[in-house]
Amino acid sequence: MLTPAPLNRKRLLNTRGWTFLIVLAAIAVGVPYLNATGALPDYAVSLIGKYLCFALLAIALDLLWGYCGILSLGHGAFFALGGYAMGMHLMREIGDRGVYANPDLPDFMVFLNWQELPWFWWGFDLFWFAAVMALFVPGLLAFVFGWFAFRSRVTGVYLSIITQAMTYALMLAFFRNEMGFGGNNGLTDFKDVLGFDLQSQDTRIGLMVLSTLAVALGFLICRAVVISKAGKVIVGIRDSESRMRFLGYRVEGYKLFVFVLSAMLAGLAGALYTPQVGIINPGEFSPANSIEIVIWVAIGGRGTLVGAAIGAVLIAAAKTLLTGLYPEAWLFVLGGIFVFVTIFMPRGVLGAWDSMIDEMWHTRGMDPRERRLAA
Amino acid sequence: MSLLTLDGVTRSFDGFKAINGLSFAIEPGELRAVIGPNGAGKTTMMDIVTGKTRPDGGSVRFDGHDMTKTDEAGSARLGIGRKFQKPTVFETHTVEDNLVLSLKDDRSVFGTLFSKTDHAARVADLLALIRLEDRRLDFAADLSHGQKQWLEIGMLLAQDPKLLLVDEPAAGMTDEETERTATLLRDLAGDHAIVVVEHDMEFVRQLDCKVTVLHQGSVLAEGALDAVSANEKVIEVYLGR
Amino acid sequence: MVRVFRSLVIIAGLFQMMMLGPSYGQTSDEGTLRAEMARLAGADFDGIADVVTSLASIGDPEAAPLLRALRGGDIYWRKSDRLVVRAEKIPGRLLRLFDPLTGETLEDVKKRTIKKVKVNNTLRRSIDTALGTLTLRSPDRATRLDAAGQVFRNRDPATLPALDAALVDEADAQIAGIMRDARAAILLNDATADPAETRSAIERMVARGDPAARNILAGLDTRDPTLAAAAQDGIAAIDRSLRLWGYAQNIWQGLSLGSVLLLAAIGLAITFGVMGVINMAHGELVMIGAYTTFAVQEVIRASAPGLFDMSLFIAAPLAFLVAGLVGICIERGVVRFLYGRPLETLLATWGVSLILQQAVRSIFGPNNREVGNPSFMSGAFELGGLTITWNRLWIILFALAVFVFLLFVMKRTMLGLQMRAVTQNRAMAANMGIRTGWVDAMTFGLGAGIAGLAGVALSQIDNVSPNLGQSYIVDSFMVVVFGGAGNLWGALAGAFTLGIANKFLEPFSGAVLAKVLVLIFIILFIQKRPRGLFALKGRAVEG
Repeated sequence: MLTPAPLNRKRLLNTRGWTFLIVLAAIAVGVPYLNATGALPDYAVSLIGKYLCFALLAIALDLLWGYCGILSLGHGAFFALGGYAMGMHLMREIGDRGVYANPDLPDFMVFLNWQELPWFWWGFDLFWFAAVMALFVPGLLAFVFGWFAFRSRVTGVYLSIITQAMTYALMLAFFRNEMGFGGNNGLTDFKDVLGFDLQSQDTRIGLMVLSTLAVALGFLICRAVVISKAGKVIVGIRDSESRMRFLGYRVEGYKLFVFVLSAMLAGLAGALYTPQVGIINPGEFSPANSIEIVIWVAIGGRGTLVGAAIGAVLIAAAKTLLTGLYPEAWLFVLGGIFVFVTIFMPRGVLGAWDSMIDEMWHTRGMDPRERRLAA
Repeated sequence: MSLLTLDGVTRSFDGFKAINGLSFAIEPGELRAVIGPNGAGKTTMMDIVTGKTRPDGGSVRFDGHDMTKTDEAGSARLGIGRKFQKPTVFETHTVEDNLVLSLKDDRSVFGTLFSKTDHAARVADLLALIRLEDRRLDFAADLSHGQKQWLEIGMLLAQDPKLLLVDEPAAGMTDEETERTATLLRDLAGDHAIVVVEHDMEFVRQLDCKVTVLHQGSVLAEGALDAVSANEKVIEVYLGR
Repeated sequence: MVRVFRSLVIIAGLFQMMMLGPSYGQTSDEGTLRAEMARLAGADFDGIADVVTSLASIGDPEAAPLLRALRGGDIYWRKSDRLVVRAEKIPGRLLRLFDPLTGETLEDVKKRTIKKVKVNNTLRRSIDTALGTLTLRSPDRATRLDAAGQVFRNRDPATLPALDAALVDEADAQIAGIMRDARAAILLNDATADPAETRSAIERMVARGDPAARNILAGLDTRDPTLAAAAQDGIAAIDRSLRLWGYAQNIWQGLSLGSVLLLAAIGLAITFGVMGVINMAHGELVMIGAYTTFAVQEVIRASAPGLFDMSLFIAAPLAFLVAGLVGICIERGVVRFLYGRPLETLLATWGVSLILQQAVRSIFGPNNREVGNPSFMSGAFELGGLTITWNRLWIILFALAVFVFLLFVMKRTMLGLQMRAVTQNRAMAANMGIRTGWVDAMTFGLGAGIAGLAGVALSQIDNVSPNLGQSYIVDSFMVVVFGGAGNLWGALAGAFTLGIANKFLEPFSGAVLAKVLVLIFIILFIQKRPRGLFALKGRAVEG
């Protein structure tokens, strides 16, 4: 018999959440150890760091799509903006060690015959400023964009298409040399960050560990939002927006909050990504990249947070593996995954897992509601 | 003073006048049935009262507020609850969460984000009222159609509105459920003003209240059901002669 | 014998004159030219300038090759006998000498045996002028046309006599017109010209009305206040008309861009608008149409080159069929499982688009493929101040034709009727015996086929590569969103509005920013009308 809980509040960390955090901790400790013993090659460390950035990005999108029902096809833009903010700092850190040895101007500006640093590069020589901007700029874009879109009640596929157009427009803009972000080539040839040499294995391990912390932090923030009453409102908006309005909730405000929070987390992921891969270029803005994020979430199981992270790592690892072995096959596989998951696995890997567990409870004659309470 | 006053309200869509000089008033605690043939402007009238649709002209005042300048959320906060014809509940939330979301509380983003309010007592009361105590932790999606209707009514009551707009509550209900719903609405009247939009004359008779007949966006007749039914004009346009 | 030969030459010459109209080229005997040419050996800049001037005043087109070579720095003189020659580098660090007038080969020599006749920029200009006047009387029409233009650009008062002489004989109206323009331009460059003539020259420039004429008027240096005023008025008049032509050109380019957008978007207007299906593989269906055109042209090139001009007429129906069939496969294989779940449809069709892209890349290779323009699609013509290319014109007409075809299908055929019935009330349509599954497949196939037709058109103006579809998909969705889903007229208005808006913004902001601005505009527009330009309003759509 079901005993009514005194308070209908979910715990911040359930079994799944704890497992996730423990796995992250294991990565943070185990990967450097394995690398030190030589069991794991150096490049694998950066690769894992990169996957972790993707995981954070996927968690950010899952908060927006899985819980609030807003399918952003432009989340790559927020990720890239965060990456560019960090990239700009790393460019300034190069100082006079560039090819043209100009202490004030990055190489590409010297090459374009620019005489002085454009105003929007001011302040990026300071790490803290760049770090703030990596969150602030994506957040601001999301705020302005969302304010217009949500206020005018643009929803569903219309909104998805407009977010796609947003990242497309940004890609076109960043490809231009005149924008002052390195054009086609983007920002690269970084030397160090906060005095740590980016080429040294110790720095790479440090960045990877930092990424696990960021994923954990992002997960906890999203989880806290999801289990709060605001989280219930957000899910309510996904299920029935008009009922939510007639209950007196200003839907726009909630959507804007989730959109901005999600964009800032994506920016954080981008800021960690740039130093680990050593380059950020306008290709990150391409609509295809943004849609790939969506498939990470879809395959992992939307509305689960943990699933999104799993999906990101699975697909990204598969991509690394396959593009290395059979470059021709990768798009076939990715395309096939899109079709398969949407038709046969609408709830993703974790969703399928949950159904299986529910089934098991049933066959043992137990009430799955009890489990749901803990989830 | 009336709770809700519509005065000379007009609204047209692409030249078609859905609402045309509509005027009527609802007193606090009153139960009122609004009837009318299809396209009489019933739904548009409710959209205007709840701020979903802006009127082209005329005034709508509710409890001292101008309702032509508010939106759905604003109208709800001022004390108007609206029940749709098709039950709309949050399917992936539990019954309890559906009610918690409806209870009077801080509706702002940050208010809900850090909300620590304990609603258990009120939720228990409501569950008893709508007879869903044993389904508290079930997802709303798993409820039957009738149970969803009740859940929605429970959610409206949780809002504790001054005015309830109810759209065809008897649609798709069994005779027994219909009767129970009529009893409930009569009981609720007094604490809340209630406007019931309905097709089913039998149900309106059970409500036993003042009736407003809409036709082509304005009031055709108003009064007791028997008086209205005897009205020549009403017979002509509504009763299909 | 010699006499007979000479009279034959004269007869041939007369005959040639009769055939070609007025006489071309003053006959001067070769000796005079050779005497002038000989003076180049060892001459300084002034001496060379003198030779150039007298060659110009002789006015024999035969001197043109010499002048051209002189300008190009290829004229040398042999140190041994001071013979003036033209030299070309050949392998073996040698120079091959030619006669500058006849082009006859003389000998191969070492570089130190000859000396270059050097020219500077001043000289080059006067050579250009001289060449202009010489070639004014060439028998070749294209050469004369060039020369007249050259004289107009150089505006050297020294060329006036030669120009006047050439003008008398010129029978070709277009060339004569340019010559008169050139004459006016020269007069306006000559402060000593007769005021009456200057006035009529100003009028002529105003009538010409292009930027060159405006510059000439702006550069007019005169003390006569009435002439100066006339010139100012003329400039203002030209500016006005240039601005108008500028707008017209923008509108034309906008229409052209709009027609491309329309073609790409019109199929979407059906799948997205009518069926509510987001088909992200739409761009790839366009790409398939383009590759079909490529394949058809390859087959024609290999087997029946004579049919090349017909290639598009063969490719269009084929592209419609191929893309349509692929579309039907997508609908039956993927989309039909996802009706009512638009976001999932979007993702699944995106997956399909990746597969199609990679398939084309694997079959045809990753690089751009060359699709040729049939002869009726190449070239351009002038319409007032507008330059209109044939391919753009045909594509606009083609887009409109496809639009009309689609309207016809929707409004006048059984399929269209059933389509609309299924859209409005699926259950009712099914009850009335309409096979809704079949209608869905056909509707989707129609939209896909139209995308294939778009591909045929795009292959004529854009690179045919596996990425072709990607570059149009965002724009096409913008058109449909802006125009209002479900309305063909909305797509038409949306496409042309966005196309023209883009082209009007481009001059101020550049192509990329124009795109960004248009996007911002659409977002603001959707604020006002969330369902687009031509959407249905009121309760009907809010259900």
